[in-house]
Amino acid sequence: MRPAPTPEQEELKQAIREFCAREVTQERLLAWESADGDATDGLRRAIAELGWLGLGLPASAGGSDASLVDVAVALQECARGLLPRSLVGAIRGAVALAAVAPESADVRGLAAGERALALALDEESGGTPGAFVTRIETRDGKPCVTGVKHYVPDAGAALHLVAAREGSGASLVLVEADGACVVRDALRSFGGDQQAHVRYEAAPVRARLTPAGEGAEALARLRRQQSALALAEMIGGMEAVLEMTVAYVKEREQFGQKIALFQAVRHQIAEMGMRFTAARHLAWQAITRVSGGCEQGHELASALAYVGQAFKQLCWTGHHLHGGAGFVVEHRLRFHSERAQSLCVRYAPEAPALAEIANALLGK
Amino acid sequence: MDYELSARERAWRDEVLEFIAEHVDEELAAESRSRGNEGRGPRAQRFLQALKDRGWWGLAWPEEFGGLGKTAIEQWIFIDEIETAGAPMLPLTVTSVAPTIMRIGSEVQKREWLPRITAGEIDFALGYSEPEAGTDLASLRTRAVLDGDEWVINGQKMWNTMAHTATHNWLAVRTEPEAPKHKGISMMIVPMDAPGVSVQGIWVWPGLRTNALFLDNVRVPRDHLIGERGMGFYYAAMALNFERLSIGSIGMARRHFRAFVATVRERVVDGRPLREDPWVRERLARLQVEIDAARMLGFETAWTLDQGRMPAAESSMAKIYVSELSQRIADTGCEILGLNGQLHAEDPGALASGRMQWLYRIAPMLAFGGGTNEVQRDIIGFMGYGLPRK
Ligand SMILES: Cc1cc2nc3c(=O)[nH]c(=O)nc-3n(C[C@H](O)[C@H](O)[C@H](O)COP(=O)(O)OP(=O)(O)OC[C@H]3O[C@@H](n4cnc5c(N)ncnc54)[C@H](O)[C@@H]3O)c2cc1C
Repeated sequence: MRPAPTPEQEELKQAIREFCAREVTQERLLAWESADGDATDGLRRAIAELGWLGLGLPASAGGSDASLVDVAVALQECARGLLPRSLVGAIRGAVALAAVAPESADVRGLAAGERALALALDEESGGTPGAFVTRIETRDGKPCVTGVKHYVPDAGAALHLVAAREGSGASLVLVEADGACVVRDALRSFGGDQQAHVRYEAAPVRARLTPAGEGAEALARLRRQQSALALAEMIGGMEAVLEMTVAYVKEREQFGQKIALFQAVRHQIAEMGMRFTAARHLAWQAITRVSGGCEQGHELASALAYVGQAFKQLCWTGHHLHGGAGFVVEHRLRFHSERAQSLCVRYAPEAPALAEIANALLGK
Repeated sequence: MDYELSARERAWRDEVLEFIAEHVDEELAAESRSRGNEGRGPRAQRFLQALKDRGWWGLAWPEEFGGLGKTAIEQWIFIDEIETAGAPMLPLTVTSVAPTIMRIGSEVQKREWLPRITAGEIDFALGYSEPEAGTDLASLRTRAVLDGDEWVINGQKMWNTMAHTATHNWLAVRTEPEAPKHKGISMMIVPMDAPGVSVQGIWVWPGLRTNALFLDNVRVPRDHLIGERGMGFYYAAMALNFERLSIGSIGMARRHFRAFVATVRERVVDGRPLREDPWVRERLARLQVEIDAARMLGFETAWTLDQGRMPAAESSMAKIYVSELSQRIADTGCEILGLNGQLHAEDPGALASGRMQWLYRIAPMLAFGGGTNEVQRDIIGFMGYGLPRK
């Protein structure tokens, strides 16, 4: 038992913390938000040089061979420092491809930051493969993708990993997204990622990542991996919100005293701390087990159900204790609150997590 | 025991609903949503004019000031229905400042200001808060010094919403620096075009604009101090009291919830109507129960007022409940919408016009603004149940 980061992981965290403190300034956060398209290219190259895009990728592809836990440790820190989600997405995309198809020739390019990969997994009608509208067809003897994927994060990426229906099953394929047969309808989302609904008009398949029609299991594994990484992001956000709120109540005065001296304020800080502590361990238990391939039951569902709600609750209390000061658009707090909602809805919705736990308890 | 509206109250509600049916349409609601508080749009202007023509500006005013002298229950019905319909609420100038002037202003001041308010010539921004004086309003520092027949005002206000569109500021200033802090404040009316007044925009999370207000040797005539010197803290509290029914109203949340429920009813996910999902049904039903409960707390406030008692604890209950429930509605709503729930409210594709996402952003302010919930909870303890203060 060692419910804490290793010295190497601490070192990585520290490096990311310093990077974020330097690069993710208030002005930039606002500028990125109002920019048309992704304005974080420079930073992507910088983190590629630091080797962070190759975290969790095989050494043979220029990666560092780190485990999913190490990647999660990094993402926790990225989230804490509000590193743009497009960069977090680049790390996630690389890890996703490496997990599904470690041999893929494209992994190397992702590690080097030459290209980024978007995960086009969801559709408006829901996420279950049987209901996918997007499908793989054959044109001139070659497979291509037709249909619409919705809410694709970082949709501007040059490569798309698409989940599509094929025959009676599902397949995971890689699509080159630069051409005219991939059309993006940009969205404005809470999480600050560059989302779009993406229409694939007979877009040629660049590579198959699973055998035709046999990708459902790989898709489910991919989702679990991505949810585990989201847990780390949420813990990073919670940590930041708790820290800034503690600092603020120790500094803000009303009625001639620090507001931290009001019992009602102290109780709220205590509540935040309690939830954060429980969330942190639930999250890391789940991440380490998903990473080690040794899940014992419903630990991922439990973590998702708890952490998503706890993050939103921390943000709410954080806002409350900051009063007007935390409500201005420039304040970092609201970026965390937006990410909380975004991460929770995409990766940690309560209903399916509870359903999984209920199934474990009661049978289907 | 009787929970039905009286014949008179029913007739009044019908009249209000008829007015709403005639004057409120989806375009007006959409305009209100899209403008935030960048001044009123043409449709809102027209709506308020119609309210005025109908004689409803003076809904809550005593009859001697040309008002209708409606009971608190009748006011509550009005607020509830207008908010539920998504129509613009009467300006605070009319519902909060004017009734205060009626009670505390000198005869000359009433003659000077009330007709202009009635005519719609005056629109106030409310200048209470300062950077260091939020919940602890009595510690405000903006000061005014008498120089001959004029007050000279210096200082800074914070969160002075509508200052960029208002004609005047209803300003709390320190005039008696030697007095204990609650007794050293006065209320003044400051024209926004007075030399030395400047406004700087501040944008907040839900996309609304508020302002910092700077006062640099601003001169106003001596008689712009309303009521008595040193009583400003109590006047500000009185003005806030007149807002009690609105602040604790569940109307806005109820409207968003209704529109949201309509969306859920139509939505199909994975080939299955969302309304059939047991989790969704349970969540929505629970929220409906909470909305019903919140409405009862608002009703209790109105009823207490009509009994001639000050509903301090009652209105605090309504305020806390509504603000915290708004968060729960938004949270659940975004989740029920699935991935659509993480779109920004301003994305045209956000279902139910992005109401849940917007409510998620506005809800925190409902809790710390309008008298923060901690203080409201203290009030319930002290005033409602006689708990000792020390
Ligand atoms: C968008 C917006 C519009 C606004 N519009 C106006 C306006 O038009 N006019 C105007 O005058 N003001 C306006 N306000 C200001 C608003 O009224 C204040 O934000 C509010 O009074 C809280 O003050 P504060 O923000 O300074 O928070 P603080 O008072 O600093 O409170 C911070 C935290 O401390 C807690 N706290 C404070 N005192 C106690 C206590 N005694 N016991 C326990 N906890 C305590 C609070 O609950 C809160 O959680 C607006 C604010 C916003 C954000």
